[in-house]
Order: sequence, then structure tokens, then C-alpha cells
Amino acid sequence: MAMRGLTVFIADIRNCRVRELEEKRINKEMANIRTKFKDGSLSGYDKKKYVCKLLYMYILGWDIDFGHMEAVNLISSPKYSEKQIGYLGITLLMHENSDLVRLVVNSIRKDLDDNNEIHNCLALHAIANIGGREMAESLASDVHRLLVSPNSKSFVKKKAALTMLRLFRKHPDVIPAPDWAERITNIIDDYDLGVCLSVTSLVTALAQQYPEAFMLAIPKAIMRLHKVIVERDFSADYVYYKIPIPWLQVKLLRLLQYFPPTEDPNMSEMLHNVLQTIINNSQETPRNVQHNNAQNAILFEAINLAIHLDCESDIVRQATNILARFILSKETNVRYLGLETMAHLAAVTDELDEIKKHEETIILSLRDKDISVRRRGLDLLYSMCDVSNAKTIVSELIRYLHIADYALREEMVLKIAIMTEKYATEHSWYVDVILQLISSAGDHVGEEVWYRVVQIVTNHENLQEYSAKMVLHYMRSPHCHENMLKVGGYILGEYGHLIANLPGASPIEQFNTLHARFGLCSLATRALLLSTYIKFINLFPEIKGAILAVFNQYRHVLDAELQQRACEYMAIATMPTDDLLQTVCEEMPQFPERESALLSRLNEKTGQTEDKRTWNIGGKDSNEKTPANLLAAKERNENGSVDDLANSVSNTSISAAGGENGAAAPANGSPAPPTPAAPTAKTGLTWKDQLAPGYENWYNRLRDGADGILYEDSILQIGIKSEYHGHLGRLAIYFGNKTHTQLNSFAVSVESPEGLVVANSHTLATSIGPSTQIQQLYSLECQQIVTEVPLIRISYQAGSTQSIYLKLPVLMSRFIEPIQLSSADFFARWKQIGGAPREVQEIIKVPGRIELERARTILVNHRLGICENVDPKPGNFVATGVFNTSLSGKVGCLLRLEPNHESNMYRLTVRTTSDVVSKHLKEILHTALLSKPAPSTR
Amino acid sequence: MSPKEKTKIIKDVTQLVLSRRTKMCNFLEYKDTKVIYRRYASLFFITGVDPNDNELLTLEIIHRYVEVLDRYFGNVCELDLIFNFHRAYFILDELLIAGEMQESSKKTVLRVITQMDAMEEEEAKEEAKK
Repeated sequence: MAMRGLTVFIADIRNCRVRELEEKRINKEMANIRTKFKDGSLSGYDKKKYVCKLLYMYILGWDIDFGHMEAVNLISSPKYSEKQIGYLGITLLMHENSDLVRLVVNSIRKDLDDNNEIHNCLALHAIANIGGREMAESLASDVHRLLVSPNSKSFVKKKAALTMLRLFRKHPDVIPAPDWAERITNIIDDYDLGVCLSVTSLVTALAQQYPEAFMLAIPKAIMRLHKVIVERDFSADYVYYKIPIPWLQVKLLRLLQYFPPTEDPNMSEMLHNVLQTIINNSQETPRNVQHNNAQNAILFEAINLAIHLDCESDIVRQATNILARFILSKETNVRYLGLETMAHLAAVTDELDEIKKHEETIILSLRDKDISVRRRGLDLLYSMCDVSNAKTIVSELIRYLHIADYALREEMVLKIAIMTEKYATEHSWYVDVILQLISSAGDHVGEEVWYRVVQIVTNHENLQEYSAKMVLHYMRSPHCHENMLKVGGYILGEYGHLIANLPGASPIEQFNTLHARFGLCSLATRALLLSTYIKFINLFPEIKGAILAVFNQYRHVLDAELQQRACEYMAIATMPTDDLLQTVCEEMPQFPERESALLSRLNEKTGQTEDKRTWNIGGKDSNEKTPANLLAAKERNENGSVDDLANSVSNTSISAAGGENGAAAPANGSPAPPTPAAPTAKTGLTWKDQLAPGYENWYNRLRDGADGILYEDSILQIGIKSEYHGHLGRLAIYFGNKTHTQLNSFAVSVESPEGLVVANSHTLATSIGPSTQIQQLYSLECQQIVTEVPLIRISYQAGSTQSIYLKLPVLMSRFIEPIQLSSADFFARWKQIGGAPREVQEIIKVPGRIELERARTILVNHRLGICENVDPKPGNFVATGVFNTSLSGKVGCLLRLEPNHESNMYRLTVRTTSDVVSKHLKEILHTALLSKPAPSTR
Repeated sequence: MSPKEKTKIIKDVTQLVLSRRTKMCNFLEYKDTKVIYRRYASLFFITGVDPNDNELLTLEIIHRYVEVLDRYFGNVCELDLIFNFHRAYFILDELLIAGEMQESSKKTVLRVITQMDAMEEEEAKEEAKK
């Protein structure tokens, strides 16, 4: 049964002492096999032998570019041994997208249909190992048949379950999982533990995607666990070093972590027994490594589940004591896992006190000999950080940073920066830490870190003077990192004047400090500094001379960017008046509040069907997806602008969505009750038919471009915030749970009109904790002319499923960019466009008196630029803009709005290069002019 | 994954694992993957798993594989695996599919493998008769 030729060949290769000899032998064999294959009259045995030789060469790392066909032929051989090698050949040599996949699909199907189960198995292995789209599409239903058919033998079922899992991970769209859910879930009860194990793996993956369809798995998993662990009912074959089938135990414990805690008291009780038994079983440490590993594997998974169920339970308290023992263990694996699991606990619990007791041990773990353990220690410190211990932890980390592995430093810097921002209670501490970070570990400070400093300093007025002072101080130290120079350049350019009266910080001293390092830094930094210098000219006219000399010098450098900046700045600075200079150098506006780029960098996205993380490293809020920022919250408090909603929704960030002027709370109209469950499929209603009653109250308020509350009832508050640029936009939707219970099965979907693409940037949480707010970001792209607005459907579980349908105020006018035209240009274009159908005119009689300011605001809010002095009659408005789409180009929009004060009427004339746009823009403005004045934020 | 990427990963991970001392833990991180390895004399068995997977149990998957190999070959050594690389693959297929434990019972796995061997032998005998 052994192939002699193969054995000899392998022995030959092993005897080659140098690489050249091996290559020679390989080439010789390849040439030999090539000729044999060309011959065509090979016996099955020979084919098998040569394919094996090719596979051996492949494993050694040589490129194999032939022999695929022979492997394919072997698959259909009637002999098992040849078939087996054929299958091994294609699984090793074939790529999932290989053209040859098409050739084998039919052979595989034949083997799946075969009465010989061993052939079924070979075919299943091949699908699971190759698993391309083509295979998934043509064979998924056959695999499903083998899985659920009562005639399938256990050993086929197991393989079918895992083959399906592989297809689902690669091509989730091919598997109609919800339709198959019930039959698949039922197999968890199979008497064969091997089948149960495989199916549990499959269900775990499917349930993450379709939790509702797989609810049935909860009681099944609990009962199975109870049977194995508490009742000790299992076949002796499945005992692994005294532990009954640890793989199944761990899988089931993991599966339950993807569901909310069960509400059935009996099930709860059973599960409690299971967890308590596991904890009790772990009191002793077995001598045998395998036994110990298996026991701890289950223990750690049980602790994770217990934390998920209720992180303040008695079980978790017991577990914390075990973990405390583990992080002191001599065994490195146990220390590692102890720290990891403790980080999980720290990441979700409110009770950090128990963990804080071990702060010293944890900080010591940063000095462990093993980098893997050091990493876990860092994660744990990051997770357990809160306002009370932030200063200690941050200073420990900074101290450790100097001796930390290079591989760890960048991550550490990122985490320190985030913790400092999150837990800073004094502004000066934040600035001190970050500047210290940049100065001592500048090489590891990513761009995001210093961008963020600039954002924060810009947005917090009381930080500006202090930062300017400190950054100047740091730049004078002998080893000033280039990143410090970048921060310094930016901050002094903006806020240098705030410290100009301090000793040692006079304008020329500031300039000299920066310029002393100018020659040593990269081109990008020099470009940034040139911008600082032009700002200096504006702030400190007295040092203009010194700066002009620099510009003059850089007008002749080779680098185009620097040269251009120098020339342009020179020109601006030497103009007869300072008007342009002052406009250009106006103080930077505040940055919009958004998720810190640092956090997004840290939480890399995971694929759709990979096992989801059951928790994230970081404090409690990083697991609830609410960006909390103490500085920002504090700032709002200081400014007294915290809205009157604070009592209903504890989180403050909704106030950011609600607009600063307090326009948030609905003044009129009682909150609409949530629409009772009305599944679209059954009633055949469109989304539009089901819009929440009273939605217009909020919607109309936001029509004219404001940010604020989109909807509110006794359970949910929804706010939006948006920004637009050209044909693109970003929309943040905030969902606040006003109740004191968790909202489960929370889901949001958007139906957008053709031509408007609304994409969400990450998957939304499926639940909202009590009195918590979550945020969902959408990106908008206007591809074509759209006259409809997108609709959104929000659903959640509260007794029954509740659905809310709303309109999103993404009007066509959002994608207009204002422009200014001179009188001559305007009328030239006005004439060019001409009359109907591209001109639309309407006389609008407004309720009440005409208010010119309001008309102006409406035009501006709909993103039109008002051209002054174009219309000969003062009081008439002329406004222009460009409507942008990504696929259908741009549409120029011109309009005139002529008020008639005597009769309280407007004449609105819109001319655009598209009749559809003219008509729709007119309608938008018409509605706006008729509506009651709404508070606006612009 | 291109062969080039594969080679690079194999090279990187081999270096990482070989540079670790015996007392260190069996887990380390490589890019977004957790690497879990176990050493048997001079042979290293290395797996890459999701960061979320249960580490200790992955170690025991390796051990179970080694146990099955050991029972099948009778005191398995490196040479058994080299000269019978295809069998090592077949046995692995009986243990793991899609990276998940398919069958953890040593007895059941060995029964299937023996059955396959019996079929092969049968065919070889018939071949000899001809």
C-alpha cells in the first residue's frame, strides 16, 4: 500500500545536503513527471504516485504549475485510494477562485450523492477545504441535505455541519440560514456527542448573524450543558483526561454569550447550577497538564459567560477570587489567561474595586519576561482605568514606555492618549501628559495622536493659553521631536498671541524657537511651519520683516509644495491692505464632535461572519459604543448649555445632537406612541404608509438643515447630526434609551431612494442598555438627481416587536454648494438657461408678514449663496449654488426671490440646468417659506 | 491568499515561535491572529486562531492530534510524518474541518482511519491478483 517510488523520492530529497542539489533533483523529477503526464497512458496507480510527488514538492515550497488535471481525473477514479489522493491534490493545489473548480464541482456532487458514505466524506472535506463561491452556490443544498437527512450516518452529519459552517463564513449570502434554523438547531440534541459538537460550532456562527432565528438554541445549549456537567451523562469515549468532551462544553458556553440572558427562570436556574459546578470543580489543580488545561479552558469560558450574564453576580465574585490567584500563578499560560479574563471583567463591570485591589500585581505584569503576558497586562490596565486611578496608571505606563518593546510602544502611546483624554479632570493634566508623550516617545506617536491634540485644544478655549506655553517650553529642550514641532507650529500659529506678553515668549522669541529647527525637519513639517509664519505675520506685524526673509528664500526651493506656499504667502503678506491676510488667517473654527480617530484605529473592524468578539478591550463605555469624553462633558457644563433632556437620557452626547440652542425638546405635540408591530411582509404596506404618527413635528424642524431631535417617545429618543460636502455627506444618528431596562433586538435599516446611497460604516449594537445612548454613522452619496428623502426603520423588542418608521431630512438641497456670482455672470447664465421647462415660477402668499431675514436664512440653510448687489432693487434676493451628484454631474442653480411687502407675497423664480431640479428646488423652498419659523442652528 | 503571502507568514511565525523560551506561555500574537503552539521534543505544532478562540482548548486540539498520530504510527516521529505526509493530512481531516473540532474521540477517529486503510489494502490486493 505504500508507494515505493514516492518513498525513494522523498529519501533522495532528504539526502540533498545543499539547496542547489535539491533544486537539481526537483527539476529532474518535474521534467520526468511532465513527460509521463504528456504520454497520457498512465495507470491510476502511477498517476497517484506522481501527484503525490508533486504534492511533496509543493509542501517543500516549490511552485507547482501543472498536474492539476491529473488530480481532477483521479477524483473520479473508482478506486478509493486514488480518489483520496486526487482530493488531497485538489485541496492543496487549487485556489478557491481557480477556474478548475468548475471542473470538479460535478465530480464532487456525484460523490455527495453516492451511497458510499466514505465518498460523501471525501467530497465534504474537499468542499470545506476549497470552498469557493462556485462550490457554495452549487453544492450548499446538497450539504444541507446530508446534514438534516434522517438517513445520514453520524460521521457524515458531523462533516456536513462543519462544511456548511465553512461555506457560510465565506459566502453567508448563499446559506438561507433562517429557513434552515429550526432543523439545524434541533440536531444539538443528537445523542452522538461528536455530531452535537459540530452542529454547535455551526449554530454559533449562524446565531451571531441571525440571533432571532436561533433563539431555540438557548434552552438546548443549557440542557445539554446540564446533562454533561451536572448529570454527568456522556459516553466514556468522549472523556478527555477525566473531563467530558471539553470542546463541546466550551462551545456551548460560548454560544450562550451571543444571546441575551434567558428570561426563563428554570433555564436560569439550570445554567446557574452548571456555572457553579464548573467553579466548584476548579478548586483543585490537577497535576496532569492536559487535564489542567481542559479544566481551565472550561473555567475561563464559564467566567466569560458569567460576566456576560450579570457581571455583579455571586458567581462572578467567586470567579474574581480565582482570577486573582491566577494572575500570580507560576504557570505563564495561566497568568496570561487570568489577565485576559480580568480585562474582560474590567471592560464591562461598574465594580472595579475588586480588580483595583490587584493594581500592583497587574502593573508588575508589565515587567513580565514574556511579551504575550506584558500585552495582556497592558490591555487590563487600559480596561480598568477610570477617573480615580487614571493618573497612577498613566504615569506607570509612561514610565514603562521607555523600556517597553518596540512592538508595543505605538499601541501604548495610543492607549495612553485615549485614557488621558477620557479621564482627564483637569485640562492641564491632559496637555502635560500628551506633550510628555510626544517629547519622550515621539517616534511612536502616530499622526492621529497629534491631530487629536490640536482638535482638543482648538475646541477648549481654556486649554489654549496653557498649551501654547507648554509647547513652547518643550520645543526649547535639546531633544525636541519633530512631532512636537508640528503640534507647536500649529498651536503657536493659532494661539501664540495669548502668551506673547510672557517673558521669553515674545513674538520674535516664538518665531526663533520654531525656526531654529526648521532646517532639520521633513518637508511636510516645513510646509506646516510656513503656514504658521503667515499666521504670525497676521498676529504679530512687528516680526513681518524676519518672516518675509524666510518666504523670500523659500520662493526658490526645489520642492513644489514649499515653493508654492512661500510664493503665495509672500504675495498675501505684501498686499497693500491686510484684508485678505486677515480673512485667510482667521482663527480656526471648532472641530465637529466626532468619534476620536484614536478609538477607531484601536477597534479594527472584523469581518461579517468571523466569530464576533464578545467584548472589547477598554472601559465600560467602549463596550457600549458611547463615546464618552469627560472634557467635552465638562466643557458643556461650564458653558451652561447642557440641555433640559439630561434627566431623561443620562448621556450627555445627545445634547450635541440636539443643537446648542436647546431646540431639542419638542415644544408642541405630545410624544407619539410607538407604532405597534406591523410587519411589512404581512400587511403589504410600504414604509411610507407606516410613518410614525406626528413625525412631521420633528421632521419639519429639521427640514431646513438643522441638527436635532428626529423623534421621541417615552422609550426612545432619536437625534441626528449631519454635515455635507459636495455630493457627499455624513449623518450621525443617536438612539437614546430613556427607560431603565435594556432594549433588545434593536435594529435599524434604511430605505433610500434611487440615486442616493446611504451606507452605514459599522454594524450597530443589537441592544441599548438602560439610560444609554448609542450612535450610528452613515455616509451619504448623492449619485443622481433625487427628489425623495430616505426612510429609516427602527425596531426593538419591548414585549412585542416595535417598529418606528421615519423620514430622514436628507433633502436634495443638502448636496448644493453655495457660490457667489457677479452681476454680469449671473445675468449671462440666467439668460443662457432661459424659460420653461427649466424655469419654474411661483407666487407664494405667506401667512403673517414677510420677514426678509427669515427668507435669507432659509436660502442660506438650503445651501444657496446669496449674491449681493446683483438685483437692482434692494430687498430682492438673488441666490446661486451648484447641486452635486457623483454620477450625473453638476447642476447649476440660480434663483430670484422678490418680496412684495404690501400683499405679503413672494415671487420665486428658479432656473437650473435641469427641469427636475428646478421643480424640486422650488418645492423645497416653497414649503420652507410657508412653514412656521423654526429655530435653526446655522 | 497568494503563495508568496503564505511563505512570508510561515517564515515570520516560525521565527517568532523559535525565539521563545520554554517557560514562556504558548500564546502569542501575529497581526490579527493569535498563534498557539506546542512543542514535542524537536517538533513544533503551530496553529493560528481568532483572537476570541479558547486558547487552552486549542492547545488540547494539538495534543489530541499528536495522540492520534502516535497511536496510528506507533510512537510517532518526524520521519513518519515526512514519508507519510498524505496520511497526516487525512488524519487531520478526521479531526478538524473548517478549523473546528469535528471529532474529539480518539477511538472514533482511529476507527475511521483504520477503515480507510482496510479499503486501500483490499484494492492493493486486487491489483496484485491481476
